[in-house]
Amino acid sequence: MTDPARVQSTGTARTASARPSRRRWNPTHFLVFPTVGLLVAFLVFPYLNMVVMSFRNPSTSQVFAPGFTVGNYLDAILDTDLYYLEILWDTMVLGAATTAICLALGFPVAYHLARTSSRFKSVLYAFVLSPLLVGVVVRCYGWIIILGNNDGLINTTLMDLGLIDSPMTLMYNTFGVSVGLVHIFLPFMILPLLGAIQSIDPALEEAAQSLGASRLRTMLRVVFPLSLPGVQAGTVLVFVLTISSYVIPILLGGFSVMIMPTLVVQQLMDAMLWPFGAALAFILSIAGALVVYVYFRLTSRAIRGIA
Amino acid sequence: MTELAIRGLSKRFGDVAAVDGFELEIGDHELISLLGPSGCGKTTTLRCIAGFEEPTAGHILFDDRDVVGLPPENRNIGMVFQNYALFPHMTVRQNLAFGLEMRSVPKSEMAERIARVLETVQLGDLGERYPRQLSGGQQQRIALARAMVVEPSILLLDEPLANLDAKLREEMRFFVRSLQKRIGITTVYVTHDQAEAMVISDRIVVMFDGHIHQVGAPDEIYSRPVSREVANFIGLTNFVEGRVQGADAAAGECRLETAVGTLRCAYPETLDVGREVALIVRPEAISLSAAAPAESGTNAIPGRVGERYFLGNITGYRISCADDLLLQVQDDPWASFDVGDEVWCTFDAAHAWIIPD
Repeated sequence: MTDPARVQSTGTARTASARPSRRRWNPTHFLVFPTVGLLVAFLVFPYLNMVVMSFRNPSTSQVFAPGFTVGNYLDAILDTDLYYLEILWDTMVLGAATTAICLALGFPVAYHLARTSSRFKSVLYAFVLSPLLVGVVVRCYGWIIILGNNDGLINTTLMDLGLIDSPMTLMYNTFGVSVGLVHIFLPFMILPLLGAIQSIDPALEEAAQSLGASRLRTMLRVVFPLSLPGVQAGTVLVFVLTISSYVIPILLGGFSVMIMPTLVVQQLMDAMLWPFGAALAFILSIAGALVVYVYFRLTSRAIRGIA
Repeated sequence: MTELAIRGLSKRFGDVAAVDGFELEIGDHELISLLGPSGCGKTTTLRCIAGFEEPTAGHILFDDRDVVGLPPENRNIGMVFQNYALFPHMTVRQNLAFGLEMRSVPKSEMAERIARVLETVQLGDLGERYPRQLSGGQQQRIALARAMVVEPSILLLDEPLANLDAKLREEMRFFVRSLQKRIGITTVYVTHDQAEAMVISDRIVVMFDGHIHQVGAPDEIYSRPVSREVANFIGLTNFVEGRVQGADAAAGECRLETAVGTLRCAYPETLDVGREVALIVRPEAISLSAAAPAESGTNAIPGRVGERYFLGNITGYRISCADDLLLQVQDDPWASFDVGDEVWCTFDAAHAWIIPD
């Protein structure tokens, strides 16, 4: 009787000896080293340092005290007021809301851009990218001029016109932060959507119409389902960017819109509570990763068969 | 069922007239082909009927009801696209159900109609497959089924067989033809393949540069073309340029003075003497002989065999005649003339036709 294990092992041994000899000496593979080196030195090491930091004992006089503990995590999660978990929840809600608004605003633009044959297509394209062409701080000051709670452009105009008696609160609240976030992250939604919609054969839309579907039903039943790979990519991008954004919430929300990145920086920089701040940062990362994972599992079912 | 009438249809794209003054009446149960080279306006015409293009001028009447201005979804059409345009994210059954759902057909009736149409296209057991799991021919038949299951008033087909391989394409011609006859639906069929149009159509509309050149049954288009373009586009043709020597409409015959002698042709209309015209004769209407024909009534042109090729069912020759005239001849496969042989090309007056330029 032949021994299948031996047959198999000789088989693998042969391929193993035949193949890598060429691969090992391919010098182009060395070209990844600078990037890998940079990442390890300036990303992986600091991360590891933060992981270690999040388990250190807190101290009032130094950065940390000797010894290790899981207390930082427990303090954040088991806090009786649910203060930290509520901020985590608010962060996730802000992320979901920004993502939803970006999707709702971005889809029609992406569709139009994908289907138009206008000679202004490149101009439109530039408009879509325009939020990325101006620095984030400059852009936020622009929004402050427009949204300002007392002397902002919107409030003064509406009051001059006599449409409102007292100024509305447009800034230093979730509304102002959402406006800023949607503005900057819209391109990250539109570009993946644009790619996905461009790959849909326009004849499919005509087929749907010939079968009696209105423009709206064609969108809902044909275009949207077929653009789901782009929807998935765009929503994940915007969500992840939103829950980790710091500058926009600080400038347009101040400390009255408390979300996780603001809180983490507060703990690290202002309170100098490095171990606790590190623990909060990792709670945010893990929570964000979990949401994205579950989202991927749910949406991948719908996408199967398209991509 | 439905009669389709197109009156003075024109469609311009900027300065270019894609379709100009298109007039056609299509009867109930009729299958009409729009035939012509690419860019002749046949697809634009079809898209105007479907409602995907808005005509610049003219009317499109479904049973006397003008549909111009109606969006495609309100025209109750069935359309088959060149690349089939099956919804890739839906199974065959969901694809077929789509049009029925848009018409709010009850679930039980829907299942029954889908089963019936799958039976009709002989793909009863493929309902749960996705389009990508089907062969090209199967996708084509599902596309046909999807267009027909909604029981449209008009069926529109845009080069539906162009993406199939040659063997299957010939098979599908008969399938589409018999299906259309069985259902009896008014159909407009766009193609650039003349053989396909001949096999499938009741009448053929031959188009060039946005204009209709001729409308007629396949044999009429083939044997009595009205323009050089039509004669050239449909099959192989020999043109012999000449001048009218005498025409007798009563006898239905016309005599031409040409560089290769006087030729006779059956032609029902009177032509002015001296007018420059072209006589056309199809390659298979000419027969070859070594000796001059005894009969004086037939046309005979002497020449020399320039080239010979064998196609199995026929042998083809290119005969060099006087005045640089090159005649294409298709003869029996067993007729054996060699290159360089002196031959006589003879053809009956009834098999020739005149195109007045």
